[in-house]
Amino acid sequence: MDELRKSFQQDLTGVQNEIVKLAALVTEALPRATEALLSSDLTEAQRIIDEDDAMDLVSVNVEEACLRILTLQNPMASDMRAVVTAMKLNDEYERSGDLVSNICKGVRRLYGLELSPALRGLITQMSEEATRLLRLSVDAYVEGNAGLASALDDIDDRLDDLQQDYIQEIFDREDDSKNSLTLQQAVQLALLGRFYERIGDHAVNVGERVQYMVNGWLPEHSAVARQAMLSDDDAASPTAGSETAPDEQPPPVDSEG
Amino acid sequence: MLPVVALLAAALVAVVIASYLARRRVLVRMAEAAGRLGGDGVPKRSLEEGVARIEALATQRQSEGELVSETGLRFEAALSAMNGGTVICDHTGTEVYRNLAAQSFAEGRHGNALVEAAVVEGLAAARNGTGSSEQVELFGPPRRVMSVVARPLLRAGELVGAVAVIDDVSEARRLNDLRRDFVANVSHELRTPVGAISLLTETMTDETDPQTLVTMSQRVHGEAVRLQNLVEDLLDLSRTEGGHRSDDQVDVGEVVGRAVEQVSPLAAKRSIEVRWEPTPGVSMQGDATQIGSAVQNLLENAIKYSPEDSMVEVRVASSVDDVAIAVQDHGSGIPQADQERIFERFYRVDRGRSRSTGGTGLGLAIVRHVAENHGGSVELTSREGAGSTFTLCLARSPESHDDASTTPTRAPQ
Repeated sequence: MDELRKSFQQDLTGVQNEIVKLAALVTEALPRATEALLSSDLTEAQRIIDEDDAMDLVSVNVEEACLRILTLQNPMASDMRAVVTAMKLNDEYERSGDLVSNICKGVRRLYGLELSPALRGLITQMSEEATRLLRLSVDAYVEGNAGLASALDDIDDRLDDLQQDYIQEIFDREDDSKNSLTLQQAVQLALLGRFYERIGDHAVNVGERVQYMVNGWLPEHSAVARQAMLSDDDAASPTAGSETAPDEQPPPVDSEG
Repeated sequence: MLPVVALLAAALVAVVIASYLARRRVLVRMAEAAGRLGGDGVPKRSLEEGVARIEALATQRQSEGELVSETGLRFEAALSAMNGGTVICDHTGTEVYRNLAAQSFAEGRHGNALVEAAVVEGLAAARNGTGSSEQVELFGPPRRVMSVVARPLLRAGELVGAVAVIDDVSEARRLNDLRRDFVANVSHELRTPVGAISLLTETMTDETDPQTLVTMSQRVHGEAVRLQNLVEDLLDLSRTEGGHRSDDQVDVGEVVGRAVEQVSPLAAKRSIEVRWEPTPGVSMQGDATQIGSAVQNLLENAIKYSPEDSMVEVRVASSVDDVAIAVQDHGSGIPQADQERIFERFYRVDRGRSRSTGGTGLGLAIVRHVAENHGGSVELTSREGAGSTFTLCLARSPESHDDASTTPTRAPQ
């Protein structure tokens, strides 16, 4: 039995190390992509796009390793949550890597456009915030730190605000007759902002999944509980409203966490 | 009677033969044991001599073992004391040693995870007999360049394992880039005005129109002035780089006021207001000329890179040990990627624009050396689109610079 447990722990540690490596590949690629964007470096942008294959390879290996653990080790409770979390995180980081590639493709589409200092400053800040969120999400996962994981959502607000400022700056430039953008350029710029913002969202998703791994609870569980309560109320009294507020945090799925 | 005697004699012979054979067996085993201990056999006659030989060999091996063990410990201590990381694996790939510096990469996160991946790949390549050398560039923060070199370990031509060495080569890479760029930049900066003067004078020799000649001679003069400025800045830089400075009592407010006055024509030309509230009573020990030159350089940069009709602010703050002079502009700001290199000689953020502003590319290098000569530093806070603030921090006296317990002055707000 101990041998089985040891083997499971080794396999899980291997998966965790690979996820940390995948996250590191994304975290390092993001500022490089931003630098390529700001310096219109097409060669570097293409290099980062090509490196996405390496991220995909790690991601496929992680998924196969997780499926092997599920099939051969039959994990239960918190062990099961650790494996499921690893699979979810794998998807989140792999998708973040795709978004970094999209930023690099934007370098090609915007080639020749001189970005205003304000836009450049906002892009730099969005990149820094997204990188910070990615790094913190990895820290939360490795440390099993549910507190840090739950804070990621609030930290992401800063990135959301920056994206709004960025979109506003694009609109302002549209109003400036001397430096106005073509519709295609404006859309491409707006999409770039969206890519950074989405990377932040993926980091927040990682935080939610880490909370699930540690506590067995997901923020979505609150919504499910509210919906279930509303359904119960409707069944009991279709006209009467609910007198009690929905439970903010239902009991964990299991008590081992 | 005779049969009894014969029987006893036979028994005696049997005992003697058995004893002889037993002794032979013991001697053979001793010889084997001596062979295993690295000896060349034992005397075949006496058990006593054999035992003595075995004991001598055992003592010899024990002292050799202690020596090997001590040497191993010494090597381990030496590897642990090294700044570079060292990882050793055996021929099966199992890790057998990792020094202290390499431990941070094992199960490391972020960039360290990528360095560890390079170590694993390098060791695998080395076990195949090829070895590898890779540089991992990390954006961090902090930004680093890590070198991972892996080599096979051979004993008598047979592979017994592999070793990987991890080194932080960021500083070496930076210095190499600096040297390469300096040679390229100084050649370029000198060649441009010299080339222009050469072409203009060549054209002037065939020109007869007096008005064109005047225009051309004005341009030749402009290029000559640019060369003169460049040479003066190079001399300034050379003086400050040498660490030479006078040690006078400097009234900081007066020095800053004079610098503001000197840049006022340039500011007026671009309709830029230089806001400066005189700060009396702030004094320090130092070189007034060098400090004035540094402040003037910062002010000229701020004015050149500010939009017209904007404002440049100068503030002075002081503590017991330090003086801080901050120059803030509301210009286009400096891209993050350039901020680390902006104090290098001839480094240009935007080559075309810098040339049009007439700078030599040495101003900030001079500022940095002045700060270092005065036991201080120059700090930059900048964001693209939001302007820049350069803060020159200077120690008030050489004693306060040397005193490790000094608390640096916060940049004036």
